[in-house]
Amino acid sequence: MSLLAPVDCLAVIPARDEVATVADVVTGVRKTLGCRVLVVDDASTDGTAAAARAAGAEVLMLPIGLGAWGASQAGIRFAARNGYHGVVSLDADGQHQPESLPTLFAAHERDRANVVIGTCIERLSVPKRIAWQYLRLLTGLSLRDFTSGLRLYDAQAMRMLAAPEASLLDFQDVGVLMLLATKGMRIVETPTTMQARKEGRSRVFASWAVVARYMFHTTILCISRLDLGKRTNSQKSTGAIR
Amino acid sequence: MLDAQVTAAILGVGLAGAIFYLVRRDHLHGPFAAWWLMVAAATLTLGMFPGVVVWLGKITGINYAPVLPIIIGLSMVLLRLLKLDIDRSRQERQMRRLTQKLAILEQEIELLRRERARGADIDGKRRGER
Repeated sequence: MSLLAPVDCLAVIPARDEVATVADVVTGVRKTLGCRVLVVDDASTDGTAAAARAAGAEVLMLPIGLGAWGASQAGIRFAARNGYHGVVSLDADGQHQPESLPTLFAAHERDRANVVIGTCIERLSVPKRIAWQYLRLLTGLSLRDFTSGLRLYDAQAMRMLAAPEASLLDFQDVGVLMLLATKGMRIVETPTTMQARKEGRSRVFASWAVVARYMFHTTILCISRLDLGKRTNSQKSTGAIR
Repeated sequence: MLDAQVTAAILGVGLAGAIFYLVRRDHLHGPFAAWWLMVAAATLTLGMFPGVVVWLGKITGINYAPVLPIIIGLSMVLLRLLKLDIDRSRQERQMRRLTQKLAILEQEIELLRRERARGADIDGKRRGER
């Protein structure tokens, strides 16, 4: 497996109505990695696309809102079509610090992983911890944070995620990770620091009703995709267990 | 008062007529019409020949035969609804991929345009230098 160089990658930033923060994130990523940045504007109405362009990003403008994963997948498809070797994804709301991106590349190099997830353990609230414990049991994936949008995908993972198979998923978490794990991708987590969101709130953990619905849908997804025996040893966590 | 057979005949023939009309006016996609014509045929058969219902009741062990058409009808509706959701899922996938493709192609066109404009600029400057 060849190692990824940041300049050969495309940074994909899905954004919906993030005009306040997107320019800073784009500038930060360009400065830190020196790679091209693609903001996927998920049908924003607040001028996110113009702000991103002004900061030097390329922009995909989705005419219909597809949600965070639909937007990320659009970026991954763009990267696959245009010959990039990997994709770095991060949120547009400023919670992922561009300075932490090299950590992902370091983990990729150290563990020869196809997918690296940047996790901030301290940030996890009690309900999230309980939810993740449940998902760990259900999926057999030994990950600590399923929803973190701070990720690095290599070319192989990128091709799998660009496929139609991944298009009906609604979130980038469990469904995406199970798809990658069943196909034998090596997934590792690496601890990073994150900031509290400057603007907006978590789309997944917005209210109890949303959480309940999310957990219910995810449970159905997990049970229907369960494929025992195939996922062992394909993923691994790094960093101290807290 | 109408005879039950006549009511069933009116329903079945009326439904079949409506289906053909909708296909003719291009309001109903051909393959969908097949299902509804089958429903019309079933209504007609079960209504015109009540003996069929009694016979089916005996075969299936449903002692109260008149409830059988209702059970069959409901199962058909459920099957149809399930098929509808399967089709909707397929369309949702296609719609999402098309939306993504549209945005990707739009950006690629934009990049090509910019490259061409840059090329034209350079050509213009060269011509100016000469």
